Amino acid sequence: MKHDEMTCQALILKFLFEYEERTMPEEDRREFEKHVSLCPPCVTFLSTYRATGKTLKMLKPGDIPPTLADTVIAFVKARRERGK
Amino acid sequence: MVEELVPTDLELVARIKAGDEGAFEQMVRRYHARIYSLSFGVLRNAEDAEEATQDAFLTLSRKIGTFDESRKFFSWFYRVALNAAYSRARRRPALPTVAIEDHLPRFREDGHLAAPEPRDWSVAIEDAAAARELAARAEEFIAELPPAYRDVIWMADVEDMTAAEVADVLQISIPAFKSRLHRARLYLRQKLGEISNAPIRREAAG
Repeated sequence: MKHDEMTCQALILKFLFEYEERTMPEEDRREFEKHVSLCPPCVTFLSTYRATGKTLKMLKPGDIPPTLADTVIAFVKARRERGK
Repeated sequence: MVEELVPTDLELVARIKAGDEGAFEQMVRRYHARIYSLSFGVLRNAEDAEEATQDAFLTLSRKIGTFDESRKFFSWFYRVALNAAYSRARRRPALPTVAIEDHLPRFREDGHLAAPEPRDWSVAIEDAAAARELAARAEEFIAELPPAYRDVIWMADVEDMTAAEVADVLQISIPAFKSRLHRARLYLRQKLGEISNAPIRREAAG
């Protein structure tokens, strides 16, 4: 396996974030892609990193209680009046 | 019908400062869901999140006079809400958190992955039921993270806030934001991999 210029370690710890954010300089990007094209473990790492991102996108903070806005308004009003 | 112009945050702030009750209500309706969601990220419990949301708006109504209008209202108020959630979190027993370093990828001396993934489990998320199961477990894994990581990944990847917004609310630098988010994602990837690669339990025979 010949992918000496950029190691798996550098690719994963140093470059992966910027690569996925598409904020990487073109030269580093080419090195990154060259490494991945020669390194099956990094291919799997990349696809599972992306799957993690997609999984997180499915998360929702739970249902917003439907009466929350009214509860908040009533709470603040009551506390203000108590404070007068 | 005359279309009513939607006031900006700063217009509402000015009206709230002048004692306009309607403007305060409008602010509550604009932000309550996001503040609840942020609180839920910290507290992981609906009742606590609801109370923290109330605390946040109460502080807003009391402290709006101290808000410096050269800043973004959103960042200021998120900070207020985060403090309300932290303060509520401190009142209950602390949950154990994991040492993130123990669950980050390991490398050999030559820089190669020490333990490559035994199989590519990313295909699992193409199945809707399996994806939902993974998402539910991801939520548990996020809850175990130390707060510095938990809040960053919750805001960035679940709440979809930008790097600048998260950094501003948490008062950290952009490089610190990136580093924490990446490490939190690596941790989540590792944990999701562990459960996806676990041997399938066989039904007990006969």
